[in-house]
Amino acid sequence: MSTINFATREINFKIVYYGPGLSGKTTNLKYVYSKIPEDRKGEMVSLATEDERTLFFDFLPVDLGEVKGFKTRFHLYTVPGQVFYNASRKLILRGVDGIVFVADSAPNRLRANAESMRNLRENLAEYELSLEEIPLVLQINKRDLPNALPTEMIRAVIDPEEKYPLYEAVAIQGVGVFEPLREVSRLVLGRLVSSSKTS
Amino acid sequence: MIEPSIALFGESFEEASRVLEELLEETGAQYSLLVDRKGFVLAHREALWAPRPPALDSLATLVAGNAAATKALAELLGEKRFSEIVHQGEQQGIYVEEVNDLALLVIIFDQNAPVGRVKLYGKRAAGRLDHITQRAKVESGTARNQLGLDTEYRESASALLDDLFGEP
Repeated sequence: MSTINFATREINFKIVYYGPGLSGKTTNLKYVYSKIPEDRKGEMVSLATEDERTLFFDFLPVDLGEVKGFKTRFHLYTVPGQVFYNASRKLILRGVDGIVFVADSAPNRLRANAESMRNLRENLAEYELSLEEIPLVLQINKRDLPNALPTEMIRAVIDPEEKYPLYEAVAIQGVGVFEPLREVSRLVLGRLVSSSKTS
Repeated sequence: MIEPSIALFGESFEEASRVLEELLEETGAQYSLLVDRKGFVLAHREALWAPRPPALDSLATLVAGNAAATKALAELLGEKRFSEIVHQGEQQGIYVEEVNDLALLVIIFDQNAPVGRVKLYGKRAAGRLDHITQRAKVESGTARNQLGLDTEYRESASALLDDLFGEP
């Protein structure tokens, strides 16, 4: 849930990039970092192993600017994708406001995509949350692979009911990186507003 | 909404800031921060003589991540929690004390502040901050309604999103 600091008049949102190992979550964050102007971003923190696999998380704060007197800021996180690191992956989900699920287009990763989505549901359930409550956007990454699976086939295993917005991407070239980020941010903002109305 | 939220403003914010300020005087530490469990800074104070602090966002995020990992470790061992975390380097050190389920107290100190003193006063301050943050805990929505976070806010924010992340 968004953190509102009244004293410093800040509203902070936590967006988490989720998905199987090597699907390109960190690549997304690195691209965002490279394109956001200096004065709108903080330092990027990466807790990775020597071979550049995310060990705990990557973190990038992005300043949206001031809205109605409130500094509005997005904290972007990635989780470690490898199955092995579930204990730390779960910790990152605490307090999440929105999720970008990064799926891999490689044929041999179809199952990993499905398992990661299941794992996401399980981990959210431990915080008594479900995907009905947290805005989720899909990014089908690595569309440039020569043997990339059809998008529909990947969607069939992670979102059979076609409930979530979907974007195709080649994150390493920056294609389809900002679109899902903007969409999930929009959804998160919308949720803040509607939750303040209903309660 | 499951996560409780702290709305630290007005009197409770002043009070928390005072505790952090006093802590710096009592211990001779450089910086003191009240951080929520998600890694956001709720309040912070710097000693007058201290150099510019490192990026507080990154600091708070790492402290919260570290505290979450430490707690998970404790649970693996059947402990409810490990209450404090101390890191000491050659020049500087960090002391983290659990305030409660909502927040953490972070103290950054150099050789001028004896670690025993930091711990002693840190624990005391954490107790006071516990009361303050518990009082400031709000039902989600209540505080937000007072803010005027309405569709106008959403529309303005969306326009900024387009500026920063590109038009659809």
